[in-house]
Amino acid sequence: MGLLSLLRKLKSAPDQELRILLLGLDNAGKTTLLKKLASEDITQTTPTQGFNIKSVQSDGFKLNVWDIGGQRKIRPYWRNYFENTDVLIYVIDSGDRKRFEETGQELGEILSEEKLAGVPVLIFANKQDLFNAAPASEIAEGLQLHTIRDRTWQIQACSATSGEGVKDGLDWVCKNLKKK
Amino acid sequence: MNLRDADSGKVLWQGTEDFTNPDVEHEARVPRKILKCRAVSREISFSSVHAMEKFRLEQRVFYKDRMLEEWFFEFGMVIPNSTNTWQSMIEAAPESQMMPAQVLSGNVIIETKFFDDDLLVSTSKVRLFYV
Repeated sequence: MGLLSLLRKLKSAPDQELRILLLGLDNAGKTTLLKKLASEDITQTTPTQGFNIKSVQSDGFKLNVWDIGGQRKIRPYWRNYFENTDVLIYVIDSGDRKRFEETGQELGEILSEEKLAGVPVLIFANKQDLFNAAPASEIAEGLQLHTIRDRTWQIQACSATSGEGVKDGLDWVCKNLKKK
Repeated sequence: MNLRDADSGKVLWQGTEDFTNPDVEHEARVPRKILKCRAVSREISFSSVHAMEKFRLEQRVFYKDRMLEEWFFEFGMVIPNSTNTWQSMIEAAPESQMMPAQVLSGNVIIETKFFDDDLLVSTSKVRLFYV
């Protein structure tokens, strides 16, 4: 499930370099997800005050995963990282019901950005291990995901800490890379 | 900066000093078992008070005068007052092509140059010893 195996699966894709962008509100679990993909210790994740990038290279083929901090003061900078994105992964804390509206608004704004037009989006309904986590279907309805018609999208329930559902999400990413 | 076994995610070496002082050649003492890893990742962390528009780096790994590996990476925007990380993962050469630790030790240098567009912002050189 790690980044190298993801890269190996993607090798058949036409591009030599792929860019995956991870966005979502602060504390959604973007960095934990990224660390999980690299089999790293996830017990000491601190709020991202900028970006975290992981680059994987194999046989001249490169995959770059960008995780940008989700704090309110950082969000205005998100747009600087949109260009050349092949897949967008939007992460939601499924237990943070009070902020579903906020995260829905942010997602709506991102999806209306020209630079991300047509880019496939995977929504990770993260933190499914929490007892109060909303199921993916409820989040999909709350965010009115069915109204997204200008791109392929998918919502996937997952837990970045346990790893559950992460592989299913990445399999979807592999299948839906934007064709250039 | 840190080095990890990319399979297990375990940190094999970590240095917290500032490696950007260009006048000093830094040293890292890395456990030699790192040479047995199937894949290794190298992470650097950097902070900037100022915003930068076209931040990029060039990283090269040398054995004596021979370049073994080269990375060019464009970050683009760097957010003011930010701390950022970049990790590059690479698969190891086949075991048959791997040079032994005693041959490599002290002869491998990781050179990282940071640029804002064409302006060289800093250079760091770290010499690796396999212990």
